[in-house]
This record gives sequence, C-alpha cells and structure tokens, in this order.
Amino acid sequence: MELPVVWANYISIALFLALGVGIWSVPKSAVLPENWHGQRWQDLRWWATGLIFCQIALYTYFS
Amino acid sequence: MHPIDLAVVVAYVALITFVGIRFSQRVKTAKDFFLAGRSLTWWVIGLSIIGTNVDTGGYIGASGNAYIIGIAQANFEWIGAIPAMIIAAIIFVPLYWRAGVYSIPEYLGLRYNQAVRVLSAAIVVIVSVFAMGIAMWALAITLQTFIGWPIWLGILVSGTVVGLYSVAGGLGAVVVTDSIQVCIMFACGLIIVAIGISDAGGADQFVSKLTAENPTHLSAYLPSDHETYPWQAVILGLGLVLSPAYWVGSQAILQRSLGAKTQWDASAGMMFAALAKTFVPLLIVFPGLLALVMMADIEYPDMALPWVIKNVLPVGISGLMFVAIIAALQSSIDSSINSTALIITRDIRHVLMKSHDPDADLKIGRLLTLGLLLCAMGTAPYIGDLGGIFNLIQSLLSLFQGPMLALLLLGALTQRATGTGGIVTLMSGVLLAGILSWVVELNMLYVAFLTFCYSVPALWIMSGFTQPHSKEHLKNLTYSPWRNK
Repeated sequence: MELPVVWANYISIALFLALGVGIWSVPKSAVLPENWHGQRWQDLRWWATGLIFCQIALYTYFS
Repeated sequence: MHPIDLAVVVAYVALITFVGIRFSQRVKTAKDFFLAGRSLTWWVIGLSIIGTNVDTGGYIGASGNAYIIGIAQANFEWIGAIPAMIIAAIIFVPLYWRAGVYSIPEYLGLRYNQAVRVLSAAIVVIVSVFAMGIAMWALAITLQTFIGWPIWLGILVSGTVVGLYSVAGGLGAVVVTDSIQVCIMFACGLIIVAIGISDAGGADQFVSKLTAENPTHLSAYLPSDHETYPWQAVILGLGLVLSPAYWVGSQAILQRSLGAKTQWDASAGMMFAALAKTFVPLLIVFPGLLALVMMADIEYPDMALPWVIKNVLPVGISGLMFVAIIAALQSSIDSSINSTALIITRDIRHVLMKSHDPDADLKIGRLLTLGLLLCAMGTAPYIGDLGGIFNLIQSLLSLFQGPMLALLLLGALTQRATGTGGIVTLMSGVLLAGILSWVVELNMLYVAFLTFCYSVPALWIMSGFTQPHSKEHLKNLTYSPWRNK
C-alpha cells in the first residue's frame, strides 16, 4: 500500500521538529561567540528555531 | 537590447571590476588570497554562500523545472538545503574553523590520512573543471540569447571580467563581488514577484489561475510514481544524503566560512545563508509559475525566465534582471576557480611534491586561477556539442556524495573511524555507486541514499579492525561539546 503524497509533508515537518530538538540539545557554549555579552540574538539556536518554524509553515501551506 | 538596459549592464560590469581590483590591493600572502586573511564577517559570508550556490541550473533551469512541476522545485531550496545548512552551521563549520584548515580535503587528511585527502581533492577538482566549463558556456549562451553576442565573444568578455578580480583579489574580491551580485539578484526577484502578482490581478487571482489547469503546481511533493522526483526519493536521497553531503562537504561553499574572522561569524554566516535560501524560490521558481499564469507562448520550459524578462519587466529592470543572471553565473564561476586553485595548490601539490615551497603558494595559486579560467574558457565552446554532460555531472556527483558524507559524518562525530577504513570505504562506496547507476540503472537520488546506507556501516566495521588516531590527535577534529560541558 502506498502512502498518500501529503504524508511527505508530515514526514518533512516531523524531520524539522526532530532537528529543532537536536539543536536545543547542543550546549549554549558551543553556539555563542567567545566574548558573549548576553545578547540573545547571538545565540544561534534561536536562528535555527526561526528557520525551522519558517519551513514548517511552508510545508504546512504547500500540502 | 534597449540602450537603457545596455547602460545598466555596462555600469554593472564596471562596478564589479572596480570593486574586485580595489580589493586586490589587500592580498599579500596565500592566506589573504585563499581565505581573505580570515577577516570575513557573517553577513558577507552568508551572501557569498548564496551567490556561489545559485548558478545557471538554479536560475534558468529551475524556472523551467518549476514551469513543469510547480512549487515542488522549491524542495531543492527547502528540505534539500535548510536542515543540512543548520547542521553545517552548528556542527561542521565550527569544527573545520577550529581545525585551522584551508579546505575540506585538508580536514579529511588530518582526520583520516593523506590518501583520503588526495583522493577527495582529485574528485573535487575533476568535477569542478567540468562544472566551470558548463557555467562559462551557459554564460555565453545567455549573452547570445539576450544581446546577440557570438559565443566566443561572450566567453572572452565574461572570462576577462571574472579573471580580473579573481586572479588579482582572490577570495576577498570574490566574496565582496558575490555579495553585490546577490543583492542585485534578490532586488530583481522581488520586482518580478511584485509586477507578476500585480499583472495577474492579485495573489488570490494568481493562485486560482495557476491551479485551474495545474492542480498539483502548489503541492510541495509529487506522487511516488513520478519519473524524476518521487517524494520518497526527494526526502531520502536529496534531503538526507545529497544535500548534507553538499552543505558539509563543498569546498566552494565552505571556503568563505573558513575565511571568517571568528568561529561564531563562520557559523552565523551559514545560518544567514539558510535564511536567504528560504526565499530563493521567489527568484528562481516564481518566474516559471508566472510564465504559466500568463500563458507564455514558449517552445521549451527553460524559456520561461527569458520570456518573463522580455514580456513582463519594464525597460531598465529587464537590463538589471539580465545582470542578475550574469551575476549568478559569475559568482559561481569565480568561487569554483578560487576553491579549485586552492585544492590543487595545497591538497595535491603539498602532499605529492615533498619538496614544495609553501612561500610560493600565492604565486602558484594566482597562476592556477588564471590557468583554470583559461581552461574553462577553452572548453566552454565545446560543452554544447556534448549534449547531456550536465546530467552526467549530476550523476558523477551522486557517485561520490554517499561515501563522502559517511566519511565526514563518522569522522566528525566519532573517534572510531580510521584512515584505512576511510580509504577502503571511499573506494568501495564509489564502486557500488557505479554499479547501481550504470548496471542496475537506479535513479541517482536512490543511488546516493543506498551508497550512504552502505558506507556508514562499512566504515564503522572496517574501522574496528584498524588502528585509530590517538585521542589527543582527534581532540580538535571531532565534535564533542557535551564532553566539555
């Protein structure tokens, strides 16, 4: 039995969610500049999270 | 071509040449030439990565493909890029930057052995030389289509412009000109979107006109029985193997990250490139959809973008769009030439010629850059006669990507992988890929996935029987932030 095409969107979204979990398991020290002064925007995990949400929105819309 | 469009093109060429040559005054050493003196900031790196990534196939070919398959073409920019770029930014770019290497083969040489370094360098050089010839040919074809220049003149002029700043300014000039080129590309892309949607009568009208006769053109994935892009192959082959292999292993892409002034800039540059990549379909997929909505009278799908430029854009903007296409091609050619010159200079010459003089690297790098450019210019006129060479290059790439990704992943994430295991896996994986491609005649996306599935356990098992490097040697060559927590 073949899965319907829309399952490709579900799988993509699940992969992006898994990636998000993986990203937040990386210690903060590994993603911040050496001379970090507390600016949250320099935490690359937040950049990755924004990108992941964009992708989830795209694969939800184009399903 | 309208005189105003021509003036825009001339102004662009003058600007790029001026900026490139001005930047060349900063080049004093091989490190300046190949890594821009490790001085690059994150946003310049990000723009340059996108400039290097979007090429002819990306611009004209992707618009043509979108005309046929719709928004599914955007998978090459989304699931086929973003996850791999995030992983590259978080894990691989910091690793390479900390290792202090100039190239990915150099990292493989440190992590495995010199045989792996030379073999991977040779693979990159062979593919790059073909790719440069194709890009130069495509540039000449574009110039012929739009302004009627003969092929030889297009090659001569574009080769001279690229050569002027690439030979003189090295990576620094390449990165700065790439950034300008990407800004032009995005400006033109947004103008096309705005004019296209306005001409169609608004976004809702655009969507309803598009899906009236092409109901699947706004579906991200195609059915599993699709001949070229079945959704399973896209997720498994493109998303899980080809794309990560490209984004964590492409020298042309990662060289600007290695030239970052800090490790954070290197990672943030890749992340910024991923943000820009999310919007690249507006540039390269939308024109194909627009041609459909406007019922373009075209003979071939690849004519979609030229049709949009000619029939939708006003005078002046069409010249700018033409510049954007030239820019996309130039930014890919200059990056390939610089990275290939680096790999020959350091990863092949330094290893094979024991009596090499490292102080001569700058001079040799510049000579090689000129030589590779002339080679691309010399072979470009004949590329058209070879017909399916573009597909051949894609198939060649799928032969190497599975085993290369396995080496990079296990090399970076574990201390188990050994040099002997690496070279045996690389050679046997490529052999298996050749059999699957030419004997079994599998889709290249499946070939990439299956050879990756073979290479990971093969490397793991073979490494168990051979001696690994010491833990001290591997300390800075493997990713282990949890260990230092």
